[in-house]
Amino acid sequence: MSGVYGEGLLKGLGITIRHFFGKAITEQYPERRPKLAPRFHGLLSLDPTKCTACGTCANFCPNGVIRIKSERDEQKRRHLTGYEVNLLYCLFCGLCVEACPEGALRFTPHFELATYRRAGAIYDLYALSREAAGERRAAGG
Amino acid sequence: MASVETVFLSGDQWLKNWLFSWGMPESWVFLCTVVVYAVAVLLFVFANVIFLVYLERKVAGYMQQRLGPNRVGPGGIFQCVADALKLLGKEDIIPASADRGLFRLASLLIFIPATMLFVVIPFGREMIVADLNVGLLYFIAVGSTATIAVLMGGWSANNKYSLLGSMRAVAQMISYEIPLAFSLLGVIMLAGSLRMSEIVAAQKDLWFVVLQPVAFITYFIAATAELNRGPFDLPEGEQEIIAGPFVEYSGMRYALFFLAEYANLVSVSALAVTLFFGGWQGPWLPSWLWFVIKVYFMIFLFMWVKWTFPRIRVDHLMGLAWKFLLPVSLVNVFVTGTAIKLFQAMGW
Ligand code: SF4
Ligand code: SF4
Repeated sequence: MSGVYGEGLLKGLGITIRHFFGKAITEQYPERRPKLAPRFHGLLSLDPTKCTACGTCANFCPNGVIRIKSERDEQKRRHLTGYEVNLLYCLFCGLCVEACPEGALRFTPHFELATYRRAGAIYDLYALSREAAGERRAAGG
Repeated sequence: MASVETVFLSGDQWLKNWLFSWGMPESWVFLCTVVVYAVAVLLFVFANVIFLVYLERKVAGYMQQRLGPNRVGPGGIFQCVADALKLLGKEDIIPASADRGLFRLASLLIFIPATMLFVVIPFGREMIVADLNVGLLYFIAVGSTATIAVLMGGWSANNKYSLLGSMRAVAQMISYEIPLAFSLLGVIMLAGSLRMSEIVAAQKDLWFVVLQPVAFITYFIAATAELNRGPFDLPEGEQEIIAGPFVEYSGMRYALFFLAEYANLVSVSALAVTLFFGGWQGPWLPSWLWFVIKVYFMIFLFMWVKWTFPRIRVDHLMGLAWKFLLPVSLVNVFVTGTAIKLFQAMGW
């Protein structure tokens, strides 16, 4: 407590007027993209060549987000045929990524996941990754 | 420059001549011009209110280091149009337990004094709807009737938050009416008149803000409280009583309260300009442009204060009015009177 009566008021006015003429610090999102951390938790992605369809990730998930479809071949080996994540319930906690013994799961920086319908939030990562691989092949060859 | 200066006056003259050329009796011409004036004032109020809603959000944004509305139109300029359309399209809900007649009436009644105030404001050289010889008294008298509409709105809604809000509004507006009137007394003593045009004319060489800085500051504080603007926005107090007297209003009725609030902001700023900043007087630019520039400077001051200070506590609010502003404005009146007498005795 010092100085003249009303000094604090003037100080406050000074701060706001400086802000008024200063630059905005908010991120102008759709025009300017955010700079995301390397370990940002966005959409999950699956490497189907590594995944053994063991189901560990689904067991670790606290919300039952992951549904794995697999079939056994003649040697009774499991093969992945579908890998659905229902992002409506996903916490993006990362337990599934940590649990995967093969390192097949990882997070991508893709975060714009809003959809018009609930069905839009269910992603088949297996189909997605095969599509991506197909595109890569098409682009490469 | 001369034509720009008198564009409104010559328009008025042209209209009168045109009506006379139709062979209209004088009283009819007078009536017609009154209607035109009323429409002009309403247009001025509406245009300003719409722009002020936008300006307020922009100023608030910039003061909080963000950009404010910037999605609708360039720089978000059409945001207020979109808001107005939204409000127009909303359902007009009247609560089941409300006093329907009173509830409806209050929303209309709040707007009438807000526009009536502009009758005595000199917008430019000779641009005043009615240059009453008690102009300032009229302004204060009409301005204080808005309290009744606020109380009506709060009471008729039959909601405890509305009632609380309107009780606060009434207590606050009545308390601050007194220092407000006393702060204007110094100006009246200097100008020697209640007529707005004479008050403006008296500031030809020196603005009264120089001679009456204390009066200006008390006026500014009391006016902020009269307007129920931050930091004196207790009647609205979003965080505790939601929106005070306006809680139950929706759609266009709510918009009318909103409109009245901003119309009052314009009129209070216009009065401050007229009394303390030489009204429409200024070099080079046309007088009405000077008036608008000064009014917007005052409005910016109000916004600056609103977005800087947190809301005051209710007992502090009353204390400030009765224990600080009132004595200060009384002392100011006394000092002004003494000084005037002294200067007269010294033969100035
Ligand atoms: S991030 Fe968490 S919630 Fe989402 S799928 Fe993996 S384990 Fe489940
Ligand atoms: S834990 Fe890894 S390997 Fe096992 S099913 Fe999940 S993603 Fe595939």
